[in-house]
Amino acid sequence: MNEKILSKLFDVEQAHKIDVYLEKKGYQAVRKAVEKMTPELILEEVKNASLRGRGGAGFPAGVKWGFVPKGVDKPKYLCVNADEGEPGTFKDKYIMSYNPHLLIEGIIITSYCVGIHKAYIYIRGEYENIALRLEEAIAEAEDKGYLGKNILNSGFDLDLFVHRGAGAYVCGEETALLESLEGKRGNPRLKPPFPASIGLFNCPTVINNVETLSNVPSIILNGADWFCQVGLPKDGGTRIFGVSGMVKKPGVYELPIGSSLKEIIFDHAGGMKEGKELKAVIPGGMSAPVLTADEIDIKMDFDSLVEAKSMLGSAAIIVIDTDTSMIDVLRLVTKFYAHESCGQCTPCRIGNNWIRKTVNRIASGEGRKEDLDNIIRLANNILGKTLCPLGDAAAMPIISIVQKFRQELESYMRN
Amino acid sequence: MSPEFSEQTKKKLQEIIARYPQKRAALLPVLHLAQREFGRISFEEEKAVASLLEIKPIEVREVVTFYSMFMREPVGKYHIQVCSNLSCAILGAENLIDYLKEKLGIGLGETTADQKFTLTTVECLGACEYAPCMMINFDYYGNLDQSKIDEILDKLE
Amino acid sequence: MVKIIIDDKPVEVEEGTTVFNAAKDAGIAIPHFCYHPAFAPEGTCRMCLVEIEGIPKLELACSTIVREGMKVFTQSDRVVEARRGVLEFLLADHPLDCPICDQAGDCKLQDYYEEYGLYDSHFSEVKEKRGKKSKLGPHLIHDQERCVLCRRCVRFLQEVTKTQEMGVFERGVHAEVNIHEGILIDNNYSGNLAEICPVGAITDTDFRFKTRSWFLGKGTSICPHCSRGCNITIEYNAFFHRFPVPQRVYRIKSLYNPNVNGYWICDLGRYGYRYLDDDRLDEIRVNSGNDKLAWQAVAPLLAEKLNRLRYMNRASRIALVLNTWLTNEELFLVKKIFGDDLKTNKIVFADPPQGKADDLLLTEDRSPNRKGAEAIGFDLNPLDLDVLFEKTDILLIFGSYLKDKANPAELKTHLDKIETTILLSSHKSELDALVDVVLPVPTIAEKSGSLTNCEGVVQTFSPALEDHRNSCPEWQFLVDLGKELGSNFKYYSQFTSTQAILKEMGKEIVFFEMNND
Repeated sequence: MNEKILSKLFDVEQAHKIDVYLEKKGYQAVRKAVEKMTPELILEEVKNASLRGRGGAGFPAGVKWGFVPKGVDKPKYLCVNADEGEPGTFKDKYIMSYNPHLLIEGIIITSYCVGIHKAYIYIRGEYENIALRLEEAIAEAEDKGYLGKNILNSGFDLDLFVHRGAGAYVCGEETALLESLEGKRGNPRLKPPFPASIGLFNCPTVINNVETLSNVPSIILNGADWFCQVGLPKDGGTRIFGVSGMVKKPGVYELPIGSSLKEIIFDHAGGMKEGKELKAVIPGGMSAPVLTADEIDIKMDFDSLVEAKSMLGSAAIIVIDTDTSMIDVLRLVTKFYAHESCGQCTPCRIGNNWIRKTVNRIASGEGRKEDLDNIIRLANNILGKTLCPLGDAAAMPIISIVQKFRQELESYMRN
Repeated sequence: MSPEFSEQTKKKLQEIIARYPQKRAALLPVLHLAQREFGRISFEEEKAVASLLEIKPIEVREVVTFYSMFMREPVGKYHIQVCSNLSCAILGAENLIDYLKEKLGIGLGETTADQKFTLTTVECLGACEYAPCMMINFDYYGNLDQSKIDEILDKLE
Repeated sequence: MVKIIIDDKPVEVEEGTTVFNAAKDAGIAIPHFCYHPAFAPEGTCRMCLVEIEGIPKLELACSTIVREGMKVFTQSDRVVEARRGVLEFLLADHPLDCPICDQAGDCKLQDYYEEYGLYDSHFSEVKEKRGKKSKLGPHLIHDQERCVLCRRCVRFLQEVTKTQEMGVFERGVHAEVNIHEGILIDNNYSGNLAEICPVGAITDTDFRFKTRSWFLGKGTSICPHCSRGCNITIEYNAFFHRFPVPQRVYRIKSLYNPNVNGYWICDLGRYGYRYLDDDRLDEIRVNSGNDKLAWQAVAPLLAEKLNRLRYMNRASRIALVLNTWLTNEELFLVKKIFGDDLKTNKIVFADPPQGKADDLLLTEDRSPNRKGAEAIGFDLNPLDLDVLFEKTDILLIFGSYLKDKANPAELKTHLDKIETTILLSSHKSELDALVDVVLPVPTIAEKSGSLTNCEGVVQTFSPALEDHRNSCPEWQFLVDLGKELGSNFKYYSQFTSTQAILKEMGKEIVFFEMNND
């Protein structure tokens, strides 16, 4: 079945306006949550729904909420990760542009569940126009009593603000996001302590991706079992797959978790552009190890991709054709991570730049025999040794490209 | 000369600062406003922002130099930021960048003599379904080719 | 208490201890750059990664808290490989400056390379270029290319001096530590930055290109420039007396003491070491009568004169000028001999002028033992020259601060009127020509004893430097004098060392009984 949970209203005129949203049965989940459920019940439902994070890491949302300690005399915060920096990813943009109230609803229910009265949407600075739309929607929601004091007469207060980033991919990492929200350089923090206990302004904090939170209203309305049936038992619901690259119909496609990658590329996205042949696919955003053309017969869920030594990540599918040189792909990958490294820890700061220089040297025709082995060695010195996952996000794709396309790279160097 | 925010901006600034339990947290939103108002964030603006948020100018510089969107020098009226990341590159972004350099007669990071256009490359803008794409100030333009680019730039006064 | 095993060695530590400190207790050093015990763990250099059984990734020793039964490996193949990896990254962009870098011999990069590196370089790229030898402050030079971004300097200026002159700018490999808008680091603790920088990125202007660290011997002492009593290490040229070298003492470094100065010393003390070598008195000088006087003869001669006055009931004609650079033992001996035995009451203090205290270490008092003098029972009477010089036949002057209390002509007039004037000083001054006998004494760095700091902490010290001059420590001279005076020979004979004196002080003065360690 092709249940549309998140994208149901994408094609509806003015669906970003609260009147249209209410007309389409919007905010019923909030009503149900605050009038008929308790925070404990909501948490139970979200846990049972196996709602895994859609930002990249895939951590179960319900489990994360459960880590917030009870009885601590400090305010709690919710940070909505709308940084959407993972290359190839553009799905959250759609939810925020075309259905911002769905996100707001999810935020309200989550906050009610965890006991949060102040939430910030950390949106990347480049999405200025979307930020304005979010602010409009928030004003509408406040106007109609879904935000602010005493929401729907429940006694529950919630203030929601939009906070703009300023161009730093690393701020999509949750602790770097917190640092940035606090007005500092986006340097990831040492964990432990974890944000659930020491987060924003030293208070317990929940950080969730836009798409993750936007699933909460439907879970509340239709139940955990339904959510798992739409997707998989341990991995409920749909994903908004973002397809880009050398395909006929790049765009967003909401499909059940576990859908076939092959189908997504060749049926939904229309297959390769005229005269182009498939060479490689990056299945989950640039940080996901690359798959060769004969590895794409795979189901798009967290566990299947881990088994294939890649990852579902942000479900951003980049389709690479045979006319695109893998040396260029490698060059663009290393350029990105070197540029976005925050610079705090030794392996990522120096390693990424070193690899970038080597790849550029190879690309300009001055590669040497030992370069490819050296790149793998350096990438392995980054992998697992850094303060935050950006190091791994860089090392894994680099290693996968050099390993799987070694012949092509070597032949490039020979010529 | 210490830069002064307009009265309207001052009001907005206070509203922004009130959203956070610590003044410092308003730094990024305040810097966006400062850049909009003054065109860039130099030492003078650092001092003004620092004094507003009760932090030190050095802390403002640390933040300004960390984030790609904050400019220490002024940019042209239209800041053309072309995405140079993977999906856009697969669909020919690098050729378009060369085309823009030629068309405007400037290199990357440079501004045209009439101060109208500044050209830079950026990493993924989150518009890969319209690759190749670019952002001019805050407006996105996608599915670019040379004639589209000509059309867009012609319309900009 | 928590029991863990490090490198197959069982260790028991308090709850909340980090793996790093538990290893340190067990005598196992874990390599590190960014960690410094004065600050919270930073976790960015990645050098202290260790293997912990049951955890797939390597973990940081500096920030991981021990858990009961934890098994840690600091020398496994994976750990050594990780260290080599970090070293390789740091050295990749590091300039080949060792031959001209003052940090050489004292440099963590060098030390760890010798221990864990020893690999062939695979770096074929162009190194990143950064600023070189720029002025960072009146005492500091900045070589950005050598920086490993440990941020110790930034953290120090944020958390200790709270002056925040440095920050981290830019991002990624362009990230750099620097001052802002050329505003130099001009606080009284800037020298600590050169000390905590693990590489040669921040170096001392004073020390620049003067010598190599492996030529330096080290001795510990107490800084005498104020009454904080910071513990210091004095680094001197170990070959000073065998070969002609330009200077003896090259620099002062801080010595950790949790009860006194923590990890730091101030610039006043750090850079105020020239006095140890400059303008020193080398020989006994006699301005009247006998041309040569040996040390053995001084005490008997003086004792005779003092006794004469004592038995004529004219002890009131004995006067002393003391100072609070004298040790507890020396002040105690003065009190016993001149206060109790001879019953003189003309004892005054001439000290260097007070200065401004800061809110960290530096005190107003610019001498180390005011509290000691008070505890021993002296009223630190301000100097009244008329009282001092009126009806005085014998004047003993300790230290040369008297020269600042009156103009030379006045002093000469006063001193000429006194029959016997003796000066005990470490340094040359205008007083040398105005007294009868000048006796050279060592500095605090060259003798032993104890000092009481502004908070009442009694600290003992031994010689950090050898004194090859014809000097005698004041305490030794006073003991000899006490014996020669005869009336209490047995009592003074027990004082064969400063420790013995301090022990006796503990018996006689409650303050020193309580503060004796």
